[in-house]
Amino acid sequence: MAKYKTESLRCWDKAKELRQGVYDGIAKARDEGTMIVAGGTESAIALPAGFDMEFLGGEPYGASCTFMGIKDSSKYMKYFEAAEAAKFPRDLCSYMRLGFGSFLCNSYAFGGTYPKPTFNLQTHICDTHGKWYQIMSELEGVPYNCVDYVPFEWEIENESEESKDLKRDYVKNQMLDVIDWMEKVSGKEFDDEKFINAVNWECEATNLWARCCVVNRSIPAVMDEKMMFSLYVIAVLMRQRKAAVDFYRELLDELEDRAARGIAAFGDERLRLLHDSQPPWHSLEIFRYLEEFGAVSIGANYSFALSGGWAYDKENETWFPADPPRVAGVELKTREDACAWYANWLLEYHIVLRSLRFSGRGKNQRMHDIVKKWHVDGVMMHLNRGCEGTAVGQMEMRYYFSENNIPSLTYEGNHADKREFDLPRTKAKIDTFMETLGVRKFSEE
Amino acid sequence: MISAGMDVGAKTVKVVIVKDGAIIGKGIATAGLEATGAAGAAWEQALGEAGLARDAIEKVTATGARREEVGGYDDAMSEVVADALAMHVAVPEARTIVDVGAEEGRAIKVNADGKVLDFAVNEKCAAGAGAFIEAMARAMQVSMAEFGKLALESTRTIPINAQCAIFAESEVVSLVHDETSRPDICKAVNDAIADRLAAMSRRVLLQPKVALIGGAALGIGLQDSLKRGLDLEELVVPENVQFFGAHGAALSASEQ
Amino acid sequence: MIEDFKRIYETRHEYIKGWKEKHPDRKIMGYMCTYMPEEILYAANVLPIRILGAHEPQNVTEPHIMGMFCPFCRDVLAQGLLGRYDYLDGIGITYTCQHITQAYESWVLHKKIDSFFIATQNSTQTPRALPYLRGQLKLFKEKLEDWTGKEITEEDLRRGIEIVDTTRRLMREVYEMRKAEDPPISGLDSMFMVVASQMSDKEEFNGILEDVIKNELPGRKAMEDPGIRLMMIGSENDDVKFIDMVENSGGSIVVDDHCTGGRYFWNTTEKTGDALTDIADRYIKRPPCPIKDIPARNRTAHLISLAREWDVAGVVEIQQKFCDPHEMDKVAISKGLEEAGFPTLYLEFDVTVPVGPFRIRIEAFLETLGSEDLF
Repeated sequence: MAKYKTESLRCWDKAKELRQGVYDGIAKARDEGTMIVAGGTESAIALPAGFDMEFLGGEPYGASCTFMGIKDSSKYMKYFEAAEAAKFPRDLCSYMRLGFGSFLCNSYAFGGTYPKPTFNLQTHICDTHGKWYQIMSELEGVPYNCVDYVPFEWEIENESEESKDLKRDYVKNQMLDVIDWMEKVSGKEFDDEKFINAVNWECEATNLWARCCVVNRSIPAVMDEKMMFSLYVIAVLMRQRKAAVDFYRELLDELEDRAARGIAAFGDERLRLLHDSQPPWHSLEIFRYLEEFGAVSIGANYSFALSGGWAYDKENETWFPADPPRVAGVELKTREDACAWYANWLLEYHIVLRSLRFSGRGKNQRMHDIVKKWHVDGVMMHLNRGCEGTAVGQMEMRYYFSENNIPSLTYEGNHADKREFDLPRTKAKIDTFMETLGVRKFSEE
Repeated sequence: MISAGMDVGAKTVKVVIVKDGAIIGKGIATAGLEATGAAGAAWEQALGEAGLARDAIEKVTATGARREEVGGYDDAMSEVVADALAMHVAVPEARTIVDVGAEEGRAIKVNADGKVLDFAVNEKCAAGAGAFIEAMARAMQVSMAEFGKLALESTRTIPINAQCAIFAESEVVSLVHDETSRPDICKAVNDAIADRLAAMSRRVLLQPKVALIGGAALGIGLQDSLKRGLDLEELVVPENVQFFGAHGAALSASEQ
Repeated sequence: MIEDFKRIYETRHEYIKGWKEKHPDRKIMGYMCTYMPEEILYAANVLPIRILGAHEPQNVTEPHIMGMFCPFCRDVLAQGLLGRYDYLDGIGITYTCQHITQAYESWVLHKKIDSFFIATQNSTQTPRALPYLRGQLKLFKEKLEDWTGKEITEEDLRRGIEIVDTTRRLMREVYEMRKAEDPPISGLDSMFMVVASQMSDKEEFNGILEDVIKNELPGRKAMEDPGIRLMMIGSENDDVKFIDMVENSGGSIVVDDHCTGGRYFWNTTEKTGDALTDIADRYIKRPPCPIKDIPARNRTAHLISLAREWDVAGVVEIQQKFCDPHEMDKVAISKGLEEAGFPTLYLEFDVTVPVGPFRIRIEAFLETLGSEDLF
C-alpha cells in the first residue's frame, strides 16, 4: 500500500482545455485573417493585449512541437532540418530553430499552414530573444520591434535605487514607444483599458501560481514537476488573460485542500529533488523514472518563476509571491501607470529573467533558498545545451552545492532537440546518484 | 564467502572472484558488438585462476553499461560506487578516483570511509575517453604501448584543441603533415586527453590522493600527462587498473 | 615601431607589470568587453586593460562555465584562475553577452578583487538608450571616484575622451592606408596593433602610432605580392596563427569587423553635450556587436560598405564556436554580402585551430576568388 493517498487533480482537464484553446485561437485567427502577434512569451506579453489579437509565443510553441512529437518525432525533426538547411547553426536555441523551421516548412504544429503574424514583438531578455524575432521578421517580411531589458541585479548585490530608477524609466518609456509603434504598423487603435486589465491579470495570475508553488512545500508534495508542466504553462501562455487568473484561483484552492488532507502527487514519496532548467520535453519519462526510487521532483526555479511574480523579503533573505496591484492597493488608471507598474514588475519580481543574465551569488542564494524552504534532499541539474539563459551560472551552482554538501547530479541534454539527449546514459546517472544517496529502486528492495 | 563481480564495459568484460575479501581470480576479454562470448571467456579465465567451478560462486553483482546484454547476475550496481568500494580496499588514502574507460571517463570524490561524495562523467565529447586514445594511436600507426613510450621521449609541448574529438583529430593530421616528430605528437595527444580528464575531475573539487584507473590508465604517457595536467605531486596508479569495477562489484556482493 | 605592436601583445603581462612599477599610484582595471567606457577610466587615471585569452587549452574552467559556452570566455576566465592577471586592482564589465558575463561572474566569485559591473543597455536604436546609458555611466564615474578617492571633473572626462579618441583616430588612419593597392601594413600587424592598443597605456601607445604613421608606413609595402584582398568579420579573434596562414597562402586581410579589430575603435566621439553624454552617444553610434543590433539589422549595411571601400574580393567569417550572437547574424549577413557581390567563407574557431585543414579551405576560397579575375 502506498505511503500517502493520491487523487487526480480536478483542474487537470481545465488546464488542457485552456492550453489547447490558445493554439486553436491562433489557428482560427489565421483562417479568418484576424490579428496575430508573435514573440516570446518570456516578454512583456501584456503589451499587445491592448488589441484584440492572438499571441503566438515562440517558447511554448517550441516545447509543444517537441512534446507532441514524443511518439513520432518526424514532424518536428523536419523543422530542425529545415532550419539547418537554411544554415542556422545547431547550437542555437532549440525553440528558435523550431520556429524558423516551422515557418520555412509553412507548417503549424497544431495543423495547417504557418500562422503569419501582423507584426512581431519581443523583449530582449537574453542574447537570443531580440535576434530571434529579428530573423523571423526578415523571413516573414513583417514589422518588428523589441523592448530592451536590463534586469535588476540580485538583491545580494545591493544595487542603488538610482540605477533601478534608470532601468524602470528605460523599460517603461520603451513600452510607451512600442504602443505607439504597434498602432502605426497595425493601423488599429490601442485600447488602454484592455491593456490595464491585462497587466492586472498578469500580476494576479503569476501571484497565484507562485502561491501554488509555495503550497508544494508540504510533505508530501501536492504537485510533482511533471504535473506542474501542465499547470505552469497556463501562466506562460496566457497570464495576461482573466481565464488564467480564474484557473489559478481554482487550482490554489484545490492544492491547499490537498495539502490540508495530506494528499500526495506521488504516493511513495521518500526523497525530494529540485530540478533545474527546462526539462527535456521529449523525455519527460525521466520524472516518472525517479518514482521508481521513491523520488519526486518538487519543482524548479524555472517552473516556479518562469512567468514572474516573486518578491524578496530582505529581513528573512527569502522570496515570496509578489502582490499584484489591487492587493498592493494600487489602481492603474492610465496607460502610463500600467507601463510604470509593469516595467517595475518585470524588473523587480521576475527573477527568472534576472537569472538568465545574472548568476553568481544571487542565483546561488535563490537556489539554496528553494532547497531549504521546499525540504529538498538533492538537486538534479539539466545542463541544457538548448538554452543559454537557463544554463548561465549552472556550473557555479553545482560548485556551490558541492561546497554546501547539497547532493547534486548533472545531466547534459537539450530541452527541445532530442538528438542531444542520451536517455539510457541519463538513467544510468540517476541510478548512480540514487546509489550515492543510499536509495534503491523499490523493485530491488 | 565466495562472491564475484562482473563489469561489462563498452569494450571489455572483466570478472573478479573474491573470497573472504581477497581476490582469488580475474579474467578479462574483449567484447565485439556482442558481449556474451567475451563474458564467457572472462569467466573462464577468472574461474581457472581461482580453481573453482561456476556454481561455487555464491553471489554475483554486475556493473558496466552493457551488463544487461550478458545477464547471469544476482544484483547490479553503478561503476562509480563499485570503483569507490574497490579503491577503499586497494588505496584507502585515495580521495579522488579518475576512471578512464573506453567510452566514458569518470571522476569520483570519496571520503575517508570510501563513501562517494560526488561524481562527474565526461559529457558529450569523446576526447576524454579511451576510444579516442586508441583512435589516435591508430592514426599514428603505433601500438598503445609504443604510444605511451614515445610520448615520454618528447621534450616539447604542442597544444591541441581538447574539446572536440574531430577537431583534435584534424590537428593531429596537421601535425603529421608538418612533420612534427612522433614523440611530440604522442605527447601532445596525451596532453590533450589528460586536459579533458583534468577539466572533468576538477568538477568534483578534487583532493589528493588522486588515483587513476580504467583501461586507458595503462598508458604511461597518459599517466604523465594527467599528473602534469592536474599539477599533482603524486598520481597513484594501482595494480589491476582495469579490474576496479568488477572488484568493487564482487565486494558489494559479499556484503549482502 | 611596428614591431612594438607584436612585442606588447606577446609580453602583455611583463608590459603591464613594468608600467605598474613606473606608476605605483595609479590603479589598473581589467575589462572584458569593448563596450567598456575607457574614457572614464583614463579620466580617473586608471589604466584600462583588456583581458584576452592565451590560446592554450586549459582544464580549469569546467567547474565554473559549462563547455557549451564559447571557448573565448572560458579562455579568459582561465587566465584569471591561473593567476596570470593577479596584478590587476580591479575588473570591470558592461552588460554584454551571456558568455563573457559568466567569465566575469566566476572571476568575481573565486578571486579577491574589486569588481565593477556597468549596467549598460543592449539596444542602440531606441532614443531611450542615450539618457539611460548616460545615467549608468554617471553611476560608474561615481564608483570610480570612491575607488580612487579622487573626484572626476568634466575636464578630466574631456582629457579621457581625447586620449582614447586619439588612439581611435590614428588606428583609423592606419586602416585607411590599407585601402591602397599595396597596403603598407599586413592584416597580422594590424591585428597586433589593435590588440596592443587594448592592452597598453594609450598615452604611450599613441606615441608609437604617430611614429609608425609618420615614419614607417609611407611608401612601405607590407607584402611583395598582396594577393587577394579579404575582409575578416566575426566575434573576438586574435588568432595569430590563422591570420599568418591566410597571409602566407595568397591572401591579404585589408579590413575587418570584429572586437579585436575595427569594431573596437571605428568611430570617435562627437560633441553633443556634456562629456558623459558624448561618451554615451559614441558607444551607441559605434559599429554594433550583434546583440546590440536590435530591432533593425544595421550591421549588414556597414559591412557591405567596408567591403566596397576597401575593395575586397571576399569575406572570411571567423565564427567563435558556440557564439550565439554571431551565429544569429551569420545567415542574414552572409546573404547580404553575397548579394552585394562578396563571396563568403565561414570557419568555426576554438582557442586553437586546425591550421592545416583551414589552409585547405582558405586556398580553395582564394582560388575561387582569383578565378573571377580571369574572366
